Amino acid sequence: MSKFREPAAFQAASADWQLLPFRFERIRGRVLLTNLVGEHLFLSAEEFEQLGSSDLPTDSPLVRRLRAKHVIREKDDELPVELLAIKARTRYRRLAEFTSLHILVASLRCEHSCPYCQVSRQSSDREAFDMRSETAALALDSAFRSPSQNIKIEFQGGEPLLNFGLIEEVVEAAETRNETEHKNLGFVIATNLALLDDRVLDFCRAHNVYISTSLDGPADLHNKNRPRPGRNSWELATAGIQRVREELGVDRVSALMTTTRSSLGRVREIVDAYVEQGLTSIFLRTLSPYGFAIKTKSFNAYDVDHWLPFYEEGLDYIIELNARGVPMVEQYAALILKKMLTNDDPGYVDLTSPAGIGIGAIVYNYDGDVYASDEGRMLAEMGDKTFRLGNLHDDSYEEIMLSEALLAPLEESFAPSAPMCQDCAFETYCGSDPTYHHATSGDFLGRKPTSGFCRRNMAIFKLLLERYEGDATTRALFQTWAGH
Amino acid sequence: MIALRGKALSAPFEAPLPRSVWRLVDADTLNSQRGSRAFLVGDEDQAPEGFDLYLTRSEGPNRLDSAFVLRLPPELDYLSGDDVISVSDDGERIRVLWRNQSRQNSVLLTERCNHYCLMCSQPPKTANDDRLLAEAFELMRLLPRDTAEIGFTGGEPTLYGQGVIDLLRLCRNLHPEAEVHVLSNGTRFADPEFAAAWASIDNPNMMVGIPIYGAEPARHDYVVQAEGAFNQTIPGILNLAQLGQRTEIRVVLHKQTAPALPEIAEFIARNLPFVDQVALMGLEMIGLARANIPQLWIDPTDYADELTEAVTLLDRSRIHTMIYNHQLCLLPRAMWPYAVRSISDWKNEYHPECIECSVKDECGGFFFSAKYKVSEKIKAIPTEAAGREPALLNLG
Amino acid sequence: MSEAKLSFDRAGYSLDAVQRAAYRFSDRLSCDISEGAKAIEVNVRVADGTERPEAVLDDFRNEALDQVLRERIRAETSDVRNLVLALAFSKTGLIETDV
Repeated sequence: MSKFREPAAFQAASADWQLLPFRFERIRGRVLLTNLVGEHLFLSAEEFEQLGSSDLPTDSPLVRRLRAKHVIREKDDELPVELLAIKARTRYRRLAEFTSLHILVASLRCEHSCPYCQVSRQSSDREAFDMRSETAALALDSAFRSPSQNIKIEFQGGEPLLNFGLIEEVVEAAETRNETEHKNLGFVIATNLALLDDRVLDFCRAHNVYISTSLDGPADLHNKNRPRPGRNSWELATAGIQRVREELGVDRVSALMTTTRSSLGRVREIVDAYVEQGLTSIFLRTLSPYGFAIKTKSFNAYDVDHWLPFYEEGLDYIIELNARGVPMVEQYAALILKKMLTNDDPGYVDLTSPAGIGIGAIVYNYDGDVYASDEGRMLAEMGDKTFRLGNLHDDSYEEIMLSEALLAPLEESFAPSAPMCQDCAFETYCGSDPTYHHATSGDFLGRKPTSGFCRRNMAIFKLLLERYEGDATTRALFQTWAGH
Repeated sequence: MIALRGKALSAPFEAPLPRSVWRLVDADTLNSQRGSRAFLVGDEDQAPEGFDLYLTRSEGPNRLDSAFVLRLPPELDYLSGDDVISVSDDGERIRVLWRNQSRQNSVLLTERCNHYCLMCSQPPKTANDDRLLAEAFELMRLLPRDTAEIGFTGGEPTLYGQGVIDLLRLCRNLHPEAEVHVLSNGTRFADPEFAAAWASIDNPNMMVGIPIYGAEPARHDYVVQAEGAFNQTIPGILNLAQLGQRTEIRVVLHKQTAPALPEIAEFIARNLPFVDQVALMGLEMIGLARANIPQLWIDPTDYADELTEAVTLLDRSRIHTMIYNHQLCLLPRAMWPYAVRSISDWKNEYHPECIECSVKDECGGFFFSAKYKVSEKIKAIPTEAAGREPALLNLG
Repeated sequence: MSEAKLSFDRAGYSLDAVQRAAYRFSDRLSCDISEGAKAIEVNVRVADGTERPEAVLDDFRNEALDQVLRERIRAETSDVRNLVLALAFSKTGLIETDV
């Protein structure tokens, strides 16, 4: 029998290791490394010192970890390069798909008067604020111009159900058109559900339309955030949610929450409210700095440092619920975890680079104005038309998509070119948000050291990674979230 | 332990046999076909005429007139109709190529190999054994049309190059519905031309099982005892994926691989997410493994955490994962749904502790070779502890 | 104390590294940076109301060291980074390659 050779015979020929692109961040005495495609590992300070001063042996547990995660390679070893290229290609393949989310503002009218609302309040009498058929037809043309195989049409407002007739028209026209286009078509109505009736339900059932609604938490909180005549927003929303679950299906309705000053300190109650409604996913959002939020000083009431403990407590509570067998996904964490743990990008327009404005999602306002994002539309309502790309009635698709109004923010906010982002270990998980930075600091790029966007996201990335490394049960839960 | 080879009790033939591979026929499977067939004599008064070879059992009568009558040794008395054997020219040595009753037939194509795994269950030999390939061609022609599964193994089958491609093409043509599973170290697929030739077989029911023993070269190359192996096997897998070929990754679990299992799982999930399935295999204590027990033996309960971590990660990454050759009492309860009852029946034996066990029928049992080394933690599972519906277990 | 003068030896630090460190800390400090003959001089003013200004300055010095390392990593890996991206996009037809 031939002799078996020892492990030493299979080590690298020399300790002349070559670095592969990576970035690092010091977190509580340890060092986080991320490679070119966002795979992460934690090193001790001593281990990092070895790597940083090129003091690695030909073999060691550290060397094996660094090789496995494509942080170092043996001189001229081609395989790590090939694998990184394949993974990078997978990461970026969504870009070529182009615009997949098309938001139609069916009506600006709304009977609620939420203080944080990003659009003007208009009473129910003002017919001038409904989208007309001709405008909708042009919006559909634009939607089908996109090369994306997946086209999601989302009806927003105001309250889109106030112009339900138009929704019916658009859905039917889109389906007819799709008989030749063969896209994966999806429809969503973002509604407060106060106006839900049989006609709406029957239509949604027949055309596989999904419902997205707002649920800010328990009744007192929700109603305080979302006043309407009758003060029964919560009652109508929850009744609506149950009706949709029972008459269309449990997967056909999802809810978003908005955080206000009143929400802080009550995150467990808010999550519990979702559990009570049978919902299995929640999006713990921040308050955005747009629209009425600034006008009514809601935004000034707190900043990121007040919101972060709210998020951390909410996330830990959700982890605890899952351990007890109560299914609940935190959506923002799930989106980030997908980027951290897989080669896929979920294409969430507020957290990609290049930014998702225009090229990921686009907004067609009731009057035909086209905006690069919903936030851009909200800024326009406040008098700032920076993100207005044109008008469906006056401008061609090319004029709109190649306008300076779209290209400038895309280029200027590109994270890998941005100061501090360029060196940031979390850059592959993060994104550009030119609308936010324009609104808060006057330019598309912002100054990341003082940017609330940066501070918030960095804190969340660190939190998620620390929880991930912390115990096996959380790891398994996060892996499940990343896989959805 | 079922024997797959033996020496005839009859005297050697004076003239050489006209062929080497024979499909057996007995009274139950008798029809008018005679070509390539040998008759297995039972209790009938008169053996049917026209066969070129007759076999009798070790204690059976011999009233036969034919020139070619072979008396089976007792360990091969189990043979019956539709089994396939190969016999040496002089009728002395018999090898069982295919047992119709078994669900786990494995066709050995060669004992030659270009690796030398620490735990190899089929220790490599250097002598030319091309005749095994030739016999495999014959076997393909003799297998019934409704054969459900065909496994090809070695040594390293791809050493034959175009020869193994031709064999698999014949297999696909004659048995298009059979599930074909080929074991290979995968290195030859790093050659794009060979990978393309493989793809040209065009068998959607074919899968190649390729082992990976590390997330980087040092560990993998050590286990397979070949420098540069990792840097060929991974590109081989990538080439196959690009050509739409089905692949399974196998990891044999022992002291050198089990501690690194979570890293290996992560490596597969991030770099090879397209694989069709992953098989985590318990160690067979035969062949070279017996020479390397100190480097290899680890009680499976000692890697329960790593196994759970790895299986969970792969499963959440939507990669179909199975655990083979582990006794249920040594696996964490959460891992039972992934356990497949898979030890080839010709290797299967049981431990005395198992007599009282309530889940014996779902458990894989042991390799016969386990008598050389087995965990001290083997324990019958009482009914209360089993507490689940049998339907949940994956019987693969 | 709210003002300090820091000095970074040009043999060990590049201007770019010091600038990047200053940028990162611009929420806590403001800096004037000038290049002397042998060292890069930084006049630092810590933001009013900062609790432990010495700790902030220490972190700033450490950050400058980290930036030096980042600069080295960028330089050593820029070729292979371009190689990976070129390879990743090589079949999309979106970019022209001379490879």
